[in-house]
Formats: sequence, structure tokens, C-alpha cells
Amino acid sequence: MKRSLLDILACPICKGDLDLIVEEEGDEEILAGKLICKKCSVEYLIEEGIPNMLPPELR
Amino acid sequence: MLVYPPSEDSELLLEVALKEVREDDEVLEVGVGSGFVSSRLIGKCKSVIGTDISPFAVKEAKSKGLEVVRTDIARGLRKKFSLILFNPPYLQLEDFEKCGDWIEKAIDGGKYGIEIILKFLEQVGEVMDDESRIILILSSTNSPHIMEKPESEFLIEVIGRKKMFFEELFALKLKKKK
Repeated sequence: MKRSLLDILACPICKGDLDLIVEEEGDEEILAGKLICKKCSVEYLIEEGIPNMLPPELR
Repeated sequence: MLVYPPSEDSELLLEVALKEVREDDEVLEVGVGSGFVSSRLIGKCKSVIGTDISPFAVKEAKSKGLEVVRTDIARGLRKKFSLILFNPPYLQLEDFEKCGDWIEKAIDGGKYGIEIILKFLEQVGEVMDDESRIILILSSTNSPHIMEKPESEFLIEVIGRKKMFFEELFALKLKKKK
């Protein structure tokens, strides 16, 4: 995902803002990492450049 | 086969989306699947994002150069999109047809084939503003059961149709009632 995508993502559960932790970044995008909700602390993984915003019960 | 292959419904959505899309549109395709429709909108609008609940679909759509998010409908997105596309799972599968794979998820619309469409209509308001347009594909097999809900909340216009052997497909354009 491009860094700019972060602006339009929010926690699907509480709509809170997300902190981005980058584990691997290519020239244009983040390849691996996680998004962590600042309010409810639920984690959403970024794998192969794709953020998984499914709430835990739907994963 | 892991991802729904582009079919008549995908082609109808592509055809109407190409007519509807404007240069300043910010497009969201819900259930982007293989990316067949959205990948052809790249360069014709300001931005395109696809969502899909299937891990295989988002991977395939991304390989076509699309920005994708794996999610259910539009959960976790907080943007208002000007154009929203959805070719939903609209079949009512019989029990013997179900095998629990990702293709089934791409076509199984539950009872009367409308359960996912109703869920979409309930949630889509969050990513719409007053001017947003939705293009939704429906089948004649759904239509007797579905129109009540959307007609109470949306202005509806039929902007495309495709007759097939056993059903007719419709492309509906929906806008919020003011």
C-alpha cells in the first residue's frame, strides 16, 4: 500500500486513527507491517502490500 | 480456480462504468474480484481503490496495478467516494451447490440472492456524500425481493441491461434521496 492510503483507513471497529508500523518498504509502497488502532489497540496486518482491515471475527 | 472469472455481469458493470466515470471521480469498487472492471478505469478518473473479502481476489487485483484493501464491503475506509461500483454475489445457491470456497463467497447472495446487497446498502452510506453515485448490478432473479429497501433511501435509475437465457441483468444507478 502507498503511504497515502493511510489517510483513508480507520479502525473498522471503533473508527479510531491508526498507527503505522513499517516492517518492509519498497520504492513506492509499504510491503509489510501493521496498522494499530490508537483507541482500541486492535492490530491489522499489511502483507504483500495489502492491508487487511477485516475485524478479528471476520478474518 | 480461486477468483471469480470475469463474466457477463462483470462486462455489464465495465460497460456502464466506462460511460459513467468522470475525470474527477474518486472511485471505490466493492468486491473488486480479479480487478477486471477497476483496472480499466485507471487513468480515466482521479483515483481507484478496490476492496474484497477474498485474499486471492485482492492479490489478483493488486497485480493489475490497483490499490486494494482486504475488507468486508467498505469497513475500515473513512473516505467519501464520488463513484462506487458493486457487482455483488446475487445468486441463491442450493445446499448441494455449496462447497465453502472463495468462489462460493463471490457468488452466494444468501436467501433470494439479496443478503449481501442489503448489507452493502446498509453500510455504503458511510463512504458516500450527497452527490455520490452507486452503480449496482442486479439480476431479474433478485428484483421481486429487493426493491423496497433501496427505493426508500435512494433514487434509482436503470442505466444498463443485458438479456441472458434464463435471467436479465440490470445496472442500477443509485443516489441518496435528499
